[in-house]
Amino acid sequence: MPGSGGAGRRVSDTLRNPLAVAALLAGTLVLGTALLGPVIWGEAAETNDFTSLDQPASAAHPFGTDKLGRDILARVLVAARLSIGLAVAATAIGMVLGVLVGAVASMSGRRLRRFLAMMIGIAVAFPGLLLALFFAVIFGVGPRGAVLALGFAMAPGFARLTQTLAASVTSQDYVSAARALGVSRVRILVRHVLPNLAEPLIVNGTVAAGSALLAFAGLSYLGLGVQPPAYDWGRMLSEGLNSIYTNPSAALGPALAIVVSGLAFNFAGEFAAQTVGGRARVHRKVPAHVPADAGPRLSTSSDDAPGTVLSVRDLTVRIPTADGLIRPVRGVDLDLAPGEAVGVLGESGSGKSLTALAISRLTHDPVRVDAQRLTFDGMDLRGRLGATERTRLGTSLSMVFQDPMSSLNPTMRAGDQLAEVATEHQGSSWRDARARAVERLRAVRMSAAERRSRQLPHELSGGMRQRVMIAMGLMGDPRLIIADEPTTALDVTVQQQVLEVIQSTRERTGAALLLISHDISVVSSICDRVLVMYAGRVVEDLPVADLERARHPYTRALVEAVPTMQTPRDERLSSIPGRPPDPAALPTGCPFAPRCPRADTTCTIEPPLVRYAAGSGAVACHHPVEETS
Amino acid sequence: MTAALDFRDVTVTYGTGAQAVRAVDGVSLQVPAGSVVGLVGESGSGKSTLARAAIGMAPLTGGSITASGRPLPRRGRRPVQMVFQDPVAALDPRMSVRASLTEALGVAGAVPRREREAEVMRLLELVHLDPGLAGRMPAALSGGQRQRVSVARAIAARPEVIIADEITSALDVSVQGAMLNLIRDLRAEMDLSMLFISHNLAVVCYVCDVVAVMYLGKIVEVGPTAQLVADPQHPYTRLLLSTAPRVGASLADSSLPPQVQDTEPADPHAPPTGCRFHPRCPQGPAVVAGREICAQQDPAPGARDRPHQAACWFPGGPVDLPSPRPRDPQPAEAT
Amino acid sequence: MTATTDTHAAAPHLGTGARARNTWATRTWTRYVVRRLGVFALSLWMLVTFAFAMIHLIPGDPVRAALGVNASPELVAARRAELHLDEPLLSQYVRYLGGLVSGDWGVSLQSRLPVTQVIAERLPNTLLLAGLTFVVTLLIALPIGTGMAVLTQHGRHRLLELGYTGIAMVVSAVPEFLMGVVLVYVFAVRMEVLPIAGNAGPGSVILPVAALSLGSALALSRIVRVELLSVLGRDFVRTARAKRLRPRRVYLRHALPNALTATITLGGLLLSGLIASTVIVESIFAWPGLGPTMVSSIITKDYPLMQAIVLIYGAMVLSINLVVDMVLSVLDPRSTIREA
Ligand SMILES: Nc1ncnc2c1ncn2[C@@H]1O[C@H](COP(=O)(O)OP(=O)(O)OP(=O)(O)O)[C@@H](O)[C@H]1O
Ligand code: SF4
Ligand code: SF4
Ligand SMILES: [Mg+2]
Repeated sequence: MPGSGGAGRRVSDTLRNPLAVAALLAGTLVLGTALLGPVIWGEAAETNDFTSLDQPASAAHPFGTDKLGRDILARVLVAARLSIGLAVAATAIGMVLGVLVGAVASMSGRRLRRFLAMMIGIAVAFPGLLLALFFAVIFGVGPRGAVLALGFAMAPGFARLTQTLAASVTSQDYVSAARALGVSRVRILVRHVLPNLAEPLIVNGTVAAGSALLAFAGLSYLGLGVQPPAYDWGRMLSEGLNSIYTNPSAALGPALAIVVSGLAFNFAGEFAAQTVGGRARVHRKVPAHVPADAGPRLSTSSDDAPGTVLSVRDLTVRIPTADGLIRPVRGVDLDLAPGEAVGVLGESGSGKSLTALAISRLTHDPVRVDAQRLTFDGMDLRGRLGATERTRLGTSLSMVFQDPMSSLNPTMRAGDQLAEVATEHQGSSWRDARARAVERLRAVRMSAAERRSRQLPHELSGGMRQRVMIAMGLMGDPRLIIADEPTTALDVTVQQQVLEVIQSTRERTGAALLLISHDISVVSSICDRVLVMYAGRVVEDLPVADLERARHPYTRALVEAVPTMQTPRDERLSSIPGRPPDPAALPTGCPFAPRCPRADTTCTIEPPLVRYAAGSGAVACHHPVEETS
Repeated sequence: MTAALDFRDVTVTYGTGAQAVRAVDGVSLQVPAGSVVGLVGESGSGKSTLARAAIGMAPLTGGSITASGRPLPRRGRRPVQMVFQDPVAALDPRMSVRASLTEALGVAGAVPRREREAEVMRLLELVHLDPGLAGRMPAALSGGQRQRVSVARAIAARPEVIIADEITSALDVSVQGAMLNLIRDLRAEMDLSMLFISHNLAVVCYVCDVVAVMYLGKIVEVGPTAQLVADPQHPYTRLLLSTAPRVGASLADSSLPPQVQDTEPADPHAPPTGCRFHPRCPQGPAVVAGREICAQQDPAPGARDRPHQAACWFPGGPVDLPSPRPRDPQPAEAT
Repeated sequence: MTATTDTHAAAPHLGTGARARNTWATRTWTRYVVRRLGVFALSLWMLVTFAFAMIHLIPGDPVRAALGVNASPELVAARRAELHLDEPLLSQYVRYLGGLVSGDWGVSLQSRLPVTQVIAERLPNTLLLAGLTFVVTLLIALPIGTGMAVLTQHGRHRLLELGYTGIAMVVSAVPEFLMGVVLVYVFAVRMEVLPIAGNAGPGSVILPVAALSLGSALALSRIVRVELLSVLGRDFVRTARAKRLRPRRVYLRHALPNALTATITLGGLLLSGLIASTVIVESIFAWPGLGPTMVSSIITKDYPLMQAIVLIYGAMVLSINLVVDMVLSVLDPRSTIREA
């Protein structure tokens, strides 16, 4: 089952991490000692050897002896049970109390919920150790008091955690769906909320037990915890510290025990969290030299492309992932004439964005880009970019991204984000650059441009932010605008405005446009030509006007899968069965074969070459749809 | 005939004081039994709030909602079910498909315990899923498959009406078509009543019998799909129609008069006076002289008597604009 | 073109709308500040009440417990009277609040000195220690965190990253008091270069500060690194690179300011944690701060002193949190909206 397979891989990834293995081993060791310590070394720890009082480390006593001549190592090992037991007890108290309060807070009505949240907020602001000291006053000196104090001190943290976790679970649609079904509150709590809370709570409990251990040692060290004749690591530490000049190991022994077990708890929790959250990925490096593509050159396009603003041949992108090396972009060819507008269509994951980023040299490790040719405005973009190339790219290649909110720096004024292009590349003063920024904002028809330029992105609307992005490209003299889903995050009416701005910008500057979108109507409203991508390849290259007469079965299906205003209401939409292929396991022949109604055995064996047809476009298919159908 | 779902003057307010937002403002809308009613509007227009109100998750500050003539019950079987936008969040990650569906059947109580397994299989087939998927966890399903399970779960509860809130917008283009086909099949097979919410007018027109258009918390036009498309009454509907997905349409076809071309969507905290659409309206006071009434008086009260219940003082075709729109890239402020 | 024509040229409705949005922003900020100050006052009041209630929450007779079983009944009665324990609870509370305001914080049961005098003697030392530690922590954490983030982004320098995170995790997991023991052992016992305890000259501050700052500095540097790495992965950094800015400008002008919010938040938590840790570290190094006094007051059940110290520590923590939130609200206006 894929789901458990993913979890299994996460576990094995975690196991490959040396720190995780160390934490696991140490954890087992510590717990084992806590269980068995008193049984094995109990006697040795109480045996007084009056011939060697307060001795430093020796072969017989690796950590020396204490004032009564007892072996310190044995006592450290025996003390494990009490030290860890008390810490676990305190954690348990804190967890039960905290989860209870947190659950009540999240299930109660508005008033009580807000009140409890505020109380928890105030309590959480106090460091645990301080709270423990406060409570120690009330519960008194001694192990019982210390456990209670620590437990109470830990409760607010767990309460806060429970509350936030529960809030995030209850805001999920599946809880809304359950409520809409009429599932009772209690059942929702038991069936939907608690199971999704358990994992993070346990992970945090483990980490908290580690901190409790350390805190308890601190309390005992101060004389507030375990009282003689009982002993735990904290008390041994404070005794050992008195004789640190004569026998340092008397202090270092328990100190080591505290650190090791504290770390074991902390790390075990942390790695559990990473495994649960799937963060403990092992990265692998891309081998420096791998043949760009094992298969043959797939296109027959001519190799010289004079008079182009952008010319790309055999562009390949490789990325190392947990499943091995993937090739999300495989041999893309592309020519853009000056002023031409070309759209790139394709499903999610087909490699549209990566193609754009690779062309503009914005990918970074571990992504590797290779191409036989990558020229922009007469510049070879392969290899290292020098200062002149940087400046030319900065002023003549303009990028517009999908989400204008996240694509603008939230802490920098909109105008300054434009102006810095001029100060960086054109040696302008900030004054001039800012003035020009305002002027460019006006050019994208930003209302009240002067004032807007002094605002932060979150004070602008989505459409305005996208105008800022477009204006940014206008600071120089753009030859090419690459826009990756520039309108997808916007409302239809605003979408229209932004497209118009792009269009008029293009008309004024004569820049070419590479517009990436999954939306056919967006592409067809503004572009002359469309490239259709599937599984990292361009499968068809055709004029926009021919979209409905597309020859590649995939393009056909894509056009017919989404209703437009022209779609007859009584006609079924075409649907493409299955899913796009996993980039880590691409089929050998045509990547579309498993989903293609026209596929035959040739298709599953031989990858189709891109064939240019007379007059219009190119198609990579063994059995293209013919015009008559 | 009583409607499967009937909103009467529904108002929902979020927040209080200066931050109060009337997300839904006096909306009346009927979903007749056996028909699919579409609701379009841009983000923040209140579509989802209206939907949440119908499943009791947004408290009404005014008006009423009834299902088949009865008020919504507070406990037990619920007559309104909902399918959500995000296929990832819609299913409990710790419950198998079977468990999710069985839970829904259990609450509805219509199927005896012994027959539930068979019913789960039937439901999966109904939504064109392989019954073998019943044991899968949501993580092992694709987005389209999860959305189908959500639909099956909604049907399992034997609702009077299902609300589908943007159920295709998070799906890949290639599976959207299949999802829409499914909705149409279900409607034909089981006489489904549905409120279908989407921001995409083309999608709504494809699956719905009746379309309602929402703007800033109010419904501005309602009409049978064909009529609404052929003869839109409200300028906002016309704007939506002109920007709706259409292959081969060029940008120029939907250009607006320069006065309103670059206006920003209104701030819901401070909605415009009178007709809420007036600052952006291509037939409103910013473009056509003598239409000050739009900025002063709300056209909503008389809407019932106008064609398509249009909330507009000047419904019907566009007025002849004084001169063809100049394609001037320079902003108006430069003058 | 000037600002006036600019505003004038905008369509009238837009002008008002935008202005409304602006004043709305300042109003949210003011509301946030008022709210935050309200929470501070409330917390302070709760703290005072807690300090007052402490003595009443102790099971049994607190005075008898403090003086021991052998104390004469007369002495116990005298102390009860001195602490006003026989009066009605409400009047005790009122008297307590009044005393706090007028500077009469009571007299230590043990030393018979006025509590305010004890605090005035001890508090400056604690503040010195905490302040120095905070500065040292920042000075270590910021450069290391930033440098490590830049060096290890996009999975570069895997070995360096592994070594750094490993060391940082271990060191920051060692509690301050153990760090103190180790430092004492290495520098005072073995190398004999630094004094072991007390406050005797500038040299004696080094070990306590080191014990307190080493772990937290590495912990904070990890936070800075992680924050910076996540900021470096965000879309606007890609935009900055698309503008072909020099890498230095991308890191320092675009990435770092955006990593600051989380760093300050966590730095504040760290600082209040430091306040708590000083208690133990001061005990180890016999540093004449409030810490050892607090511990002895708990052990000897010196209630007036205890109450006062709880108040002082609590107030320090609350003030730190207040300052952090205020700084954040100015640096990152969006934080106020999230809260409200
Ligand atoms: N940094 C990365 N590490 C691993 N895989 C990646 C990375 N970036 C992209 N990919 C993979 O490369 C493939 C192509 O991604 P890309 O973002 O180019 O698709 P897209 O066509 O833009 O899709 P969308 O429409 O969703 O934006 C996908 O399978 C994606 O998962
Ligand atoms: S090559 Fe074969 S499988 Fe591929 S698209 Fe053409 S017909 Fe279909
Ligand atoms: S009432 Fe006026 S402003 Fe509103 S939609 Fe109608 S014409 Fe436009
Ligand atoms: Mg993309």
